[in-house]
Amino acid sequence: MGNKLSKKFWLLIVALLTAMVLAACGGDSEEGSSDADGGGDGGTTDDGATKITAWAWDPNFNIAALNLANESYNGETEIELEIIENAQDDIVQKLNTGLSSGTMKGMPNIVLIEDQRAQSFLQSYPDAFYPIGDYFNTEDFAEYKIPPTSLDGKQYGLPFDTGATGFFYRTDYLEEAGYTHDDLVDITWAQFVDIAKDVKEKTGHPMLALDPNDLGILRVMMQTTGTWYTTEDGTINLVDNEPLKVALQHYKELMDNDLVKLVSDWSQYLAAFNSGDVASVPAGNWIAPSIEAEESQKGLWAVAPTPRLDMEGAANASNQGGSSWYVLNIDGKEAAAEFLGNTFGSNSDFYQSLLTDVGAIGTYKPASEGEAYQYENEYFGGQQVIYEISQWMEEIPQVDYGMNTYGIEDILSAEIQQYLSGKSLEDVLADAQAQAEAQFK
Amino acid sequence: MPGTHLVENLKNLFATVDIGTALMNSFIIAIITTFLTLLIGSLAGYGFEIYRTKGKDMVFNILLLSMMIPFAAIMIPLYRFFGQVSSVSPLIGIDTLAAAILPTIITAFFIFFFRQNTKMFAKELVEAGRIDGLSELGIFFRIYLPTMKTTYAAAAIIAFMNSWNNYLWPLVVLQSPENQTIPLLISNLGAGYTPDYGVIMTAIVIATLPTAIVFFLMQRHFVAGMMGSVKG
Repeated sequence: MGNKLSKKFWLLIVALLTAMVLAACGGDSEEGSSDADGGGDGGTTDDGATKITAWAWDPNFNIAALNLANESYNGETEIELEIIENAQDDIVQKLNTGLSSGTMKGMPNIVLIEDQRAQSFLQSYPDAFYPIGDYFNTEDFAEYKIPPTSLDGKQYGLPFDTGATGFFYRTDYLEEAGYTHDDLVDITWAQFVDIAKDVKEKTGHPMLALDPNDLGILRVMMQTTGTWYTTEDGTINLVDNEPLKVALQHYKELMDNDLVKLVSDWSQYLAAFNSGDVASVPAGNWIAPSIEAEESQKGLWAVAPTPRLDMEGAANASNQGGSSWYVLNIDGKEAAAEFLGNTFGSNSDFYQSLLTDVGAIGTYKPASEGEAYQYENEYFGGQQVIYEISQWMEEIPQVDYGMNTYGIEDILSAEIQQYLSGKSLEDVLADAQAQAEAQFK
Repeated sequence: MPGTHLVENLKNLFATVDIGTALMNSFIIAIITTFLTLLIGSLAGYGFEIYRTKGKDMVFNILLLSMMIPFAAIMIPLYRFFGQVSSVSPLIGIDTLAAAILPTIITAFFIFFFRQNTKMFAKELVEAGRIDGLSELGIFFRIYLPTMKTTYAAAAIIAFMNSWNNYLWPLVVLQSPENQTIPLLISNLGAGYTPDYGVIMTAIVIATLPTAIVFFLMQRHFVAGMMGSVKG
């Protein structure tokens, strides 16, 4: 019996291995033939218009922006735009599957990709995207948007919204602690921590709310110096990353002195400032509508430039989030690129209505001279919030987000908990570096 | 009990998304999948148990091994396959309900499930059928199928539920909004920067109802069928 069983067992193992080897061999025979039989639509409709599909997320923001672009499009090629709405994670999953399979069937003409993910797509699927640098002038856009959206000197993405950050604060709390607006302009994060201590002592309010699982604030601090978790050539850069070290020290100091209100999800984060609990929100400008949602605090808010790390070359500007449009290398790519170039790529008036109708701040620099950008926001005591943000946007230090931002951050967030409970900073970074190198090499 | 905002949430739900189409698609996919799964799974399970062939157990073991391969591992080749099918026959290519159904209709689990339950089926009935002149398929449909009702009911619930809740494959293979299924629709509802939780919860309740109904309708058989597979 035993002998019979083991013979059978080995036969099975051999069969399984054969199957695996066969599967592995069949891989890359046709990898490059992606654009031949095309996906998307790219066909023409009965009235001669080119049919274009676009994938994006968030009906109130990105989808609304696409609809607006569709209305204001006035290029030569007639197009018919079909917008397909999906959650961002779903788009990532669908793109990865479709592009890995190499068939390009069912892929859209235009797709929205978050800047921090873009490089992983551009580098993993080199022939899948269509360079659209000829359809708009890259110099018209905020410089920090260019490295994430281009590869090997070719421009693949058309920059869309900005995540330019601001230091939104409660004027009443800060005044009580003895600070005026001028005291808060162009400060360093070290000063921010000191101010936070004062505010806590004099008003009893924590300075800001943070979700321990979201290291956004560290990225914001780091980018003020133009550094990231990886260097431009993709090397993982944690252990000798001076800005990251300083940022982590500030982070720990904020936590240790009880200057942070800890939250565990987005709705708690919103509630932390809507309820008047915390004194400030240093975050991407997209947080402004959520602040304004609380009518009763009208006139009690203002915004100052993002604090910088106290280092040479650091700017009082940073970024959190933001996405760009990409065109896939399939039939209809020229029409899709023309559509983007004609709207998001060059139309300043379009950006004015984008701001007033959708609330989206683009990264197209000439737009900031338009009328809508000069709006004096009563909620923020008459400050020209949008105009100021668009000015800071131009100063955001360039960073190459590389391929593994989110992966590295998962490793780091576990290590940071140990740092907070007493492990030394050097060990934390060395361990994180070793883990990241093992995982992403 | 429903809260005070049920009507409002329902109104918002119907105003923002086409839940009717999504329900319809989910029903079409789930019902066809369940039907084909039961048919093919039971035929195969019956065959494995009743007939004697050389190497039968070996084939069956390899089949069982296939249960260990996660779906995510075969998804990309599968997508590639359907991408190529699209060029030949668009009716079952990418972005069709057929493409969402075909890879899911048969899994080793159901063949195993039916084979185990067939062990309880009295083989003498097959002999009797043969003597009375029934064809082999006749024996299956007229004798086996009616006596195994509880097994079918249990398998139907599992197959329906799997298909109804299936997310990953429909997500990648279905592109147009008119082909969307319920889980995809719910995922989209939460996609905005400011999701409306009331509407999402309402949609989830609606999505849960059909599986709950199917379960309660077949509950008695389900328990009997599961017991059978344990005893077998």
